[in-house]
Amino acid sequence: MKAEKLRWSGAHLLFIAVMLALGEWLTANRWLDPTFVGQPSGVIKFLWNNIATGKLWVDMGWTMAGTLISFTLGSVAAITVGLLFVAFPKVEKFLDPYLNAMNVMPRIALAPLFILWFGLGLGSKIAVGCSLTFFIVLSSTVAGIRGVSQDHVTLCKTLGASAVTTFFQVTLPGAVPVIFSGLRLGLIYALLGVIGAEIIASEKGLGQSLSYLGSTFEVNGVMALLLVLALLGVSVVRTMTWLEKRLLHWQ
Amino acid sequence: MDHLSGPPGLNAPLAIAVDGLDLSFDGSSKVLSDVSLHIRQGEFVSLVGPSGCGKTTLLNLAVGLVPHTGKGSIHLAGAVPVQGNPQVGYMLARDSLMPWKTALGNAMFGMQVRGVPRAQAEERARAMLQEVGLAGFENALPKALSHGMRQRVALARTFAMGSSLLLMDEPFGALDAQTKLQLEDLLLRLCQQHQQSVLFVTHDLSEAVAVSDRVVVMTSRPGRILADIAIDLPRPRSIRALQKDPHFHELYAQLWTHLESGWSKHEG
Repeated sequence: MKAEKLRWSGAHLLFIAVMLALGEWLTANRWLDPTFVGQPSGVIKFLWNNIATGKLWVDMGWTMAGTLISFTLGSVAAITVGLLFVAFPKVEKFLDPYLNAMNVMPRIALAPLFILWFGLGLGSKIAVGCSLTFFIVLSSTVAGIRGVSQDHVTLCKTLGASAVTTFFQVTLPGAVPVIFSGLRLGLIYALLGVIGAEIIASEKGLGQSLSYLGSTFEVNGVMALLLVLALLGVSVVRTMTWLEKRLLHWQ
Repeated sequence: MDHLSGPPGLNAPLAIAVDGLDLSFDGSSKVLSDVSLHIRQGEFVSLVGPSGCGKTTLLNLAVGLVPHTGKGSIHLAGAVPVQGNPQVGYMLARDSLMPWKTALGNAMFGMQVRGVPRAQAEERARAMLQEVGLAGFENALPKALSHGMRQRVALARTFAMGSSLLLMDEPFGALDAQTKLQLEDLLLRLCQQHQQSVLFVTHDLSEAVAVSDRVVVMTSRPGRILADIAIDLPRPRSIRALQKDPHFHELYAQLWTHLESGWSKHEG
């Protein structure tokens, strides 16, 4: 197993090295214009400088703070509202068309309004991130609870379990897998919302740097930050998968 | 209808008394019609009949899942059915184990909901798991158990509660033939050991004959009682020995005839 894993890692490293060398060669010979696509050596140099000066860490810190805060607020609110909907289906029925309308609206369109309301700082980023996370987690919470095994509920009824016991013993654990997949998606969308809002208007963050570098034709910097964002996304997903494996080992 | 048969004494108190019971949903289509059924304490009675004849509905009435609206009466040990009656244990066709609980946790679940202290529940659950042949699987999650083993855990959960009346809705209906025979044997042993009254719904006639003191045959909708047959096979029984017992096959054939007459009357 271990040797197999090592071989795969080796293959990936080789592939990346070949791609980088190819890129370097194509741009050095002007087959591709580095003004538009950047140059691997330039990207590495940019990353190195920004890591050294600490600028990258500061940007990443702002973006991650925005993402985590909006994810937390959005999910807590969504799970609360979701539980409320299951307890009072009439409330859900009444609010459904409005929520639907809000959900299908491209939420990033709210960014200008949120920036007006909450300023250029973290507040407006959190507002956009929340607005994305909330609806995803809400629908998965409702779906998760509705999808709980009716056999389990029947069993609880015949045992004479109280509503509280049924909820904590059966409903909640049964709904966790579906809620969790909503949370995973919610976290990715929180990152999307925060980056989007930063690109539109911000003082700090990876999105703001990206927007600035793009408008000053610093393509190496844009490529470097895209790479950072991809790695950030991967590590976010990996963390959620790890957490899921620990929490839902029974699946 | 003659109910005066079966091993427990004639004067044993009634575990279930159903008298002249009618039931219809939404006031139109009748589900049960003039059903009378008496089960004495310690008696094992099976209900057989075509699907949709109201067997399960009768069970759900007894367990309080379906409210009784209509003529007649139903009493469990003299009281009207309520959900959560501690004297009643209910078992479904599907094992309904919680996938996030171990075999032990699942076996303890019924007792814990009913307020048995943890230590005592655990001790009893361990003993029950041993009794159903799952010693050593206490910490296994349901995903690691076969269908048969899962239904054994469900049996352990049901019997561990110590309810005096068990209502079982086709508990072996979803199992393959071989596993089914093994679990029927296990059920025979458990009932011999624990002496509960059982109302057992099944559509498998040989299963009904093998495990019961009496088999009650119902007609298709609206469900009425067509026959009430005493199974005078001596106990303790073994599924294996029964297969070679001519009387077992006679009773089986007798049941078939009744069931068929129910069809011809209503569907012929």
